[in-house]
Amino acid sequence: MLNILLSGILRGGMYMLIALGLALVYGVMGIPNFAHGEYYLFGAYATYFALTYLGVSPVIAILIGAAVGFIFGCIIERLTFAPLRKRNTGEWVTNAFMIGAGIQLIIQNGVQYLFTANYYGVTQLFEGGIKLGGINVSYDRIVAFAIAIAALALFWLFLKKTKTGISILAVADDEVGAMLMGVDIKKIHTLTYGMSSMLAALAGGALISMTPAYPLMGTAPNLAAWFTVILVGVGNLSAVAVGGLMVGIIEVTATYFFGAQWQNVVSLGIIIIILIFKPNGLFGRKSKV
Amino acid sequence: MLKLENLCAGYGKLDVLWDVSIEINEGEFVAIVGPNGAGKTTTMRAISGMIKPKSGSIVFNDVNLEKKSMKDIHDLGVSFITDGGNLFPSMTVKENLYMGALSIKDKTKRDQLFEKCLGLFPRLGERLSQPAGLMSGGERKMLGIARGLMSDPKLMLVDEPSLGLAPAVVLDVFKTLKMLSRNGVIILLVEQNVNTTLKIVDRAYILEQGKIRGQGTSKELLASDYVQRTYLGIE
Repeated sequence: MLNILLSGILRGGMYMLIALGLALVYGVMGIPNFAHGEYYLFGAYATYFALTYLGVSPVIAILIGAAVGFIFGCIIERLTFAPLRKRNTGEWVTNAFMIGAGIQLIIQNGVQYLFTANYYGVTQLFEGGIKLGGINVSYDRIVAFAIAIAALALFWLFLKKTKTGISILAVADDEVGAMLMGVDIKKIHTLTYGMSSMLAALAGGALISMTPAYPLMGTAPNLAAWFTVILVGVGNLSAVAVGGLMVGIIEVTATYFFGAQWQNVVSLGIIIIILIFKPNGLFGRKSKV
Repeated sequence: MLKLENLCAGYGKLDVLWDVSIEINEGEFVAIVGPNGAGKTTTMRAISGMIKPKSGSIVFNDVNLEKKSMKDIHDLGVSFITDGGNLFPSMTVKENLYMGALSIKDKTKRDQLFEKCLGLFPRLGERLSQPAGLMSGGERKMLGIARGLMSDPKLMLVDEPSLGLAPAVVLDVFKTLKMLSRNGVIILLVEQNVNTTLKIVDRAYILEQGKIRGQGTSKELLASDYVQRTYLGIE
């Protein structure tokens, strides 16, 4: 039982990171970003190449992965969502969804074209592990979890304590209101999308020894992140941490009892049941920020 | 000084304003009055940069605003208080107020403005840690105006402050605006409540169907047959 809980928490830490970015982009920009998993992919590939070709230390390689995610996120936002926002006259969410789906396909196929469908991974980042409650946990898993928690804490401080962070929260609350306060909305959108991509890329890099880089690697974490944000209530930033852990534990439990092929079925089944009784997700939208 | 010359504006293919010309000097308290759908809010939106004019010019303190972004216009000292308030509902009253001073770098100045706002609206001081979304209509209105003041504006565009407020509160809000205009802030007020408005502003423009139908000092307008018949219900 402890084994399941521990594995669930370790997995959930990464889902928190990925889902926070997804919730942020939806809350601030109204984008249901189906390309979110692809930034996880950018992080994984960039970290792998930084490790093997640049020969940098694992921590630096993971940070390079995160930076690559941020840069690609900013560029893609400027090339796609920004011009759409300027010209959009129809249903924003539908159009943004279609763009996200398009980006997903382009990146998946582009990566396959460039790097083939081969797996690029490393066996381990940090040697060894520790025993927790009778279970062996590798340092890689612990470091990945620590990175997730540290990144979440730093990001939360950024949102609450810096002018830019507060502006991001203000845009999520009332976009026109924020513009009336002199917030540069274009800058905030690009930055938000870039940072959301950076969080996903950070997760992709931190997990490189557990999940190697390959073209379709973004699909599963994308799905888990969606489970998380739907479970806690779309756009609810503060509850994402709890949601990430819950989805992690649900998935590990489902795998343990029914096998890995059932983990998404069980997660989705639970989410459907919760949504029937609580249509706004477990924590509604009351505590949006 | 704010000067609108032959301003035409609208939404997409829909034209709302035709050749609107308005001039307001420093320290003046001026209103645009008119019926629903006349284009009063559209005029404010055009000045604040929320919509781009189709033609004509908007000059504020010798700077043309037509092509400027909302941020640039805000940074020039223009504060637009919308009728809905556009508050940040999940932020507290204090956080909302400090959002108003986002572009002010000097912390001492921000704190001074904060104290000034609480002096003008003591009720807000009692609600500082309350989320703005949980406030009453009147309190939200006060917060909207106070937040607008936190940027230390030179021009305040105030859209329908009386909407949904008790008459006594309306009078308080108007008196506060009058006081601000006496301190040198240009105030452009949009109102449907013509009677109360004309008793407190210096001058007013009458906007009907997107065109300026008349203008004058409050005294002149209150004495005008047309205003009495159309807006005050005096036969």
